[in-house]
Amino acid sequence: MSDPREAARDASLSALGTRPPFYRDATVVRWIAQVGTLILVLAAMWFLATEAGDSLRARGANIDFDFISDYIGIQVGSGIDTNPDSGGRALWVGMVNTIRMAAAGIALASVIGVLVGLARLSSNWPLRRLAGVYVEALRNIPLLVQILVYAAVLATLPNVSFGMGPISGWIHVSNKGLSIPRVFVADGFYQWAVIMLIGAVVARITYRRLAEQREQTGAQTNAGAWATGIVAVFAIVGWWVHPIFGWLGSPLGSLADGVGAIPQGVVQLIAALAALAVAVWWIRRFLAQHRTPAGLTRLTDDDWFRMIFAVVAAAIVVLFVTVLWPGLSSWVVNSSSDGLGVLADKFGNGRTGPPIDAMRPDIVQPGNFANYGPAGLNLSIGFAAVYFGVVFYTAAFIAEIVRGGILAVPKGQSEAAQAVGLRRSTALRRVILPQALRVILPPVGNQYLNLTKNTSLAIAVGYSDLVQIGQTVYNQTGKTLQVMAVWMLFYLACSLTISAVVNFFNIRMRIVER
Amino acid sequence: MTDPMLPPASTAMGAEPVIPAASPPDRPSLPPGRWIRENLFPNTRNSILTIFAILIALFAYRGLLNFMFSEERSWIAVRTNLRLMFTQAYPEHQYIRVWVTVGTIMVLAGVSAGIWARWGGVTVKRLMGWLMSGGVLTAAGVLVREPSVLTDAAGESVRDDAGELVRESFAAAMADRWVWWAIAIALLALGLVLWTSLDDLRRRTIEIPVAWLIFGLPALLVASTWVVRYGHYGFTEGEFIAEPGQLVAMTTRVPWTFMWLILVASFALGRAARDRAIASAQAAEETPNGGPSDEGADDDAVPELPRGALARTRTSVNLLWVLSPFFLYWVVMRDPEIDYAHVFSTMLPMGLAFGAAGAAVLWLLTRSDAGEVGRLAAIGLLLLAAFHWVAAYFGWYSMLQVARIAFLLLAVAGLLAPNFAGVAAQRRRLVGAWLFMVLIAFYGATVINSPSTVETPTDMFIGGFSVTLLVSVLTIMLSFPIGVLLALARTSRQPIFRVLSTIYIEVIRGVPLITLLLFFSGVLPLFLPDGMELAELAAAILGYTLFSAAYLAENVRGGLQSIRRGQYEAADAVGLTTTQRTGFIVLPQSLRVSIPPLVGQVIATFKETSLLAIIGLFDFLRMANSVIPNQSQFLGVRRENLLFVSVVYWVVAFAMSKYSQRLEQRVGLGQR
Amino acid sequence: MSTQPAHGDATIAVSDELAARDDMIVCREVDKWFGDFQALSGISATIKEQEIVVVLGPSGSGKSTWIRCINRLEAHQSGQIIVDGIELTNDLRNIEKIRSEVGMVFQQFNLFPHLTVLDNITLAPIWVRKKSRPEAEELAESLLERVGIPEQAQKFPGQLSGGQQQRVAIARALAMEPRVMLFDEPTSALDPEMIKEVLDVMEELARSGMTMMVVTHEMGFAREVADRIIFMEEGEIVEVGTPHHFFTEPAEERTKLFLSQVL
Repeated sequence: MSDPREAARDASLSALGTRPPFYRDATVVRWIAQVGTLILVLAAMWFLATEAGDSLRARGANIDFDFISDYIGIQVGSGIDTNPDSGGRALWVGMVNTIRMAAAGIALASVIGVLVGLARLSSNWPLRRLAGVYVEALRNIPLLVQILVYAAVLATLPNVSFGMGPISGWIHVSNKGLSIPRVFVADGFYQWAVIMLIGAVVARITYRRLAEQREQTGAQTNAGAWATGIVAVFAIVGWWVHPIFGWLGSPLGSLADGVGAIPQGVVQLIAALAALAVAVWWIRRFLAQHRTPAGLTRLTDDDWFRMIFAVVAAAIVVLFVTVLWPGLSSWVVNSSSDGLGVLADKFGNGRTGPPIDAMRPDIVQPGNFANYGPAGLNLSIGFAAVYFGVVFYTAAFIAEIVRGGILAVPKGQSEAAQAVGLRRSTALRRVILPQALRVILPPVGNQYLNLTKNTSLAIAVGYSDLVQIGQTVYNQTGKTLQVMAVWMLFYLACSLTISAVVNFFNIRMRIVER
Repeated sequence: MTDPMLPPASTAMGAEPVIPAASPPDRPSLPPGRWIRENLFPNTRNSILTIFAILIALFAYRGLLNFMFSEERSWIAVRTNLRLMFTQAYPEHQYIRVWVTVGTIMVLAGVSAGIWARWGGVTVKRLMGWLMSGGVLTAAGVLVREPSVLTDAAGESVRDDAGELVRESFAAAMADRWVWWAIAIALLALGLVLWTSLDDLRRRTIEIPVAWLIFGLPALLVASTWVVRYGHYGFTEGEFIAEPGQLVAMTTRVPWTFMWLILVASFALGRAARDRAIASAQAAEETPNGGPSDEGADDDAVPELPRGALARTRTSVNLLWVLSPFFLYWVVMRDPEIDYAHVFSTMLPMGLAFGAAGAAVLWLLTRSDAGEVGRLAAIGLLLLAAFHWVAAYFGWYSMLQVARIAFLLLAVAGLLAPNFAGVAAQRRRLVGAWLFMVLIAFYGATVINSPSTVETPTDMFIGGFSVTLLVSVLTIMLSFPIGVLLALARTSRQPIFRVLSTIYIEVIRGVPLITLLLFFSGVLPLFLPDGMELAELAAAILGYTLFSAAYLAENVRGGLQSIRRGQYEAADAVGLTTTQRTGFIVLPQSLRVSIPPLVGQVIATFKETSLLAIIGLFDFLRMANSVIPNQSQFLGVRRENLLFVSVVYWVVAFAMSKYSQRLEQRVGLGQR
Repeated sequence: MSTQPAHGDATIAVSDELAARDDMIVCREVDKWFGDFQALSGISATIKEQEIVVVLGPSGSGKSTWIRCINRLEAHQSGQIIVDGIELTNDLRNIEKIRSEVGMVFQQFNLFPHLTVLDNITLAPIWVRKKSRPEAEELAESLLERVGIPEQAQKFPGQLSGGQQQRVAIARALAMEPRVMLFDEPTSALDPEMIKEVLDVMEELARSGMTMMVVTHEMGFAREVADRIIFMEEGEIVEVGTPHHFFTEPAEERTKLFLSQVL
């Protein structure tokens, strides 16, 4: 056509089959950009880290984790241990408080959320509107404001006095919070747990048998009822006969000794070899999948990256267990030996008491003011404020998700259910909800995660969750960065756990559906 | 050629654009008796549910009213501290700056509403419903609220021998509340008049423009400040003033009246501009060839504006919205004391030099034959800009920060240059954009580096709701581009980008916001080189921005994933570069899809700003929860303030979420 | 597989006149895998300037993959593809150049739904060919005239029928003034009554002397418009010939089988 095109064409023709210069090579340009960015990010992080190290050294602070095992002299408002003997113990108390609140919160928020969500779709006008008002009111007010409101309102409850509460002597409500009977694990619990374990296995086998029988003969076998009954019988009988498992103590004890005798080098070697083996196995499998009859396929950038990543990850693991933190292996050995030892102590001839016991709350008056004594399970105002806050707030979001999920099920499904004569509630339970759950579960998992993270607002009302205790710890010791690292690891672990659980159910449901 | 099956030109084209036809035709209304029977008591189960729900609702309502009207409440704390809660202790004699700020926002809001808003109408039936339910609610409130406590001559509450409060009799309470009865009856009567004077069809079709309500209700409120004796409360010159039975202070009443006038005037201005654009576009379309461009699918019968009409006005209004927070904060509210000697000796010459040199460089880089050499040169510029920062870090040589920023901007413009190469008009556009950026950068640097002349007791010159608003707005504006970049990286086909972005997003999303804020407000100084400092507020905004960006990225990613592969292929096939493909094809579509979740993120950010109170900044919540309860006049008054704060947060967040729902519907409908 | 596939260069000289023209697209031993599935094996063919080639074959035979490789929407893994003398390699400049020389029309139209018809067409001329806006709009209007829908310029793609959308897509590809047009099953997603309006436009384009490579199931179009027909199966070229040869005396068993199923 035009001259420049011809010229370009001739020039290109003469260059047939040659490699382009590197700055025009698509692959090279792509990788330079990526590796360049990676280097930049790593360099920036390195700069920041050295800067932080310098600043800390200038203040005479070292980056160490000694406070984990040292006594730091702080008191904790509430939790499994109000006078922790080390920083690590204090943080552990905070973690337990956070997990407790998150678990209890998730349970209640799910119930309220589902109920409100269903109510929003109810055919009953006042109920529908009421649920609507609940959702719109709660999700548009910041959670922190809500928590502070609850705290302010609860603070106006009457002072602690003797002989009060709805059920006299068993439950106390006051501006110090709630005190309810403490249920705790007693002497024979572990022996009883062994019996329950056996009971569960027996129940499971029975259930399988009966279910199979039902499928083959069609006869009603009541598998569920039988299984429940067996577990109940084991629980009740085990309550008294559990000491027969007292002998388990000595084999556990010798196991603990055996684990404790493993030399550190062996653990390091095993861990390193395992990491390498996994990497090699994974790459071999990967390559095998990409091998064709005609030879190896071209691997994409992603494929290369995955393989390189596998090697790098294995190398990091090896480096970590052998050079960077050799103490890890001995820690693993010692702590598992200790754990087994503790478990061994739980069994024995002397343990004949009931597995679970309860104590009535008490009220003490050391000085002028009465307060709850240590016998009951005391829930502070701070706990209640944060708990109600996160539960009601999250429930509003869960309600919206439930509603959306149910609306997402095609209308034809409920019509079909009606057409085969199912009642409205049966149709909801057997047809609509199972389908809606698929849509509902992932975002609800997100809400569980948010709830867990939101418990950290406890810091505003002084309830001792991990963040609040962490702040106390670093104010006391100056180890801010280290405490923040602990926070990050803990919350990331929570996130991973929750997403793993949600994913598990999600995948299961997908398989069931097919 | 068959013409497409399109409806004839919309008849609504020439009609008043405010009033749309009624959206989906609803069923005829039921008579009240039947409605109650069918909706409330259709069968036993539902009747029980109804009674149960109504009882719960009444119980909650009663609790709220008892709390609000209790003799122990001191709402006076809220009334007195209104200014404190919104602007902290901004000096009285400088308050005109606050009003200029509010006025600017009003102008922008009014003009934007005039140009964009497609408000429909409210049917008389709905309006009637609101009036009647208002009446019923008021009456129910009067009935369920517990009788007031008797007071003696000294104004003290009367207690009986057991120490319990003595309340007046039910009949006396009902009589005492005659004002509330009057309001309830008036509302009900108004509703009934509307009900009886119109037949059902009319009730469902006659509409009152929403604009009347939107401007009318504030008008009523503003007008009432001139008539109703709300009382005069406040701290004037530090003196506590409480004068019940007075009109609201002149310094409140006059500005708000002005604000309302400004709002309405700018709305009228925007509407006029829009109408003119529609008219001229219609005139252009009456040529024989061009068929009118109406929406086949859009449910709103309001005519879509013709393409290109008003485009320039809209762009400039958007730009003003983007620039106004910075201008209002750093210039109007902060009143910087600019050092003119420094401006003329350094900033002006430097700015001119950068502008001229940069323009020349860009002009060269946009030559059509620049090719790879141009790209390499741009990368060289980028390396140079990066080197200035590295040098700053190690303190090799000194350089004004603004110069480093200008170098970086030049590098970015240089990298974008190939997209603008060739035609003179586009080259000029890039150079123009560069000059504008230089202007903003140098002006901004001058203003930010000048000390503030506003004297306040704390080191921050604003606080309360203005800080809440400032942090929300800045966070959203700063996190948006970061979020988009992260989302693009996370959906990229290039593994390292993807992994880096994924790690960042998941780590940030995995930790609670409060830990991040504690990190940024407490630990960040450790990471900065000597001599570099970050104000507390800036650190907090940084923390919020990095946090919010991770969530925004996930929202944008949802939009990116909704784009079909064919769009990428088509863009590649017509020869667009990756940047052009992203900017012209991918982002416009994906952002449109992600508007609802993005608005959700905006609401979340707004609510999360309340966490500022924990890290010790004087935001709206802190004022209510800590500052006012510590004033000597209002020791321990906390619940009233918290309720007020909740209502303000709720109104803002609820309005945004309603708006987002409307957008969602429109996005769903207008799938074009 | 009973018969030997017709490997080797598929450029069977159809006529001397055609053989004398310049080569527009040359493929030599092109291979392409998706994972461990080989989509193309040893494709060799030459398409001459102003030639109309129709590629036929059962679904999954690699027709679309091949045509997408020529535009680098997929990267081939071995062999050579040379378009208008420019080899498709990793060279960014060559990819850029070839994309602006080769127009592509997709089965699913792939119009940009957020842009008007006019903007769809002018986008690339303005930002890739660096035309001024008035110039690009003038070109777009003349192209819309050519594909028969000048009155739709201000509409959005979603407001058009499938046939109109596909014609806009053709106009969009033509706006880059390409030397070659690739059609990837342009009528497969259309209702029967709209197929003809698109085929009419393609025929007109063919008459105007455009080099075209068309993957289609429209046998009528293949018979009437094509200079040559390439038949593919399982990623290989099975047979090449003029429409007359192809439809009346196919040499290969597999071709016969295919024709017996579709005709």
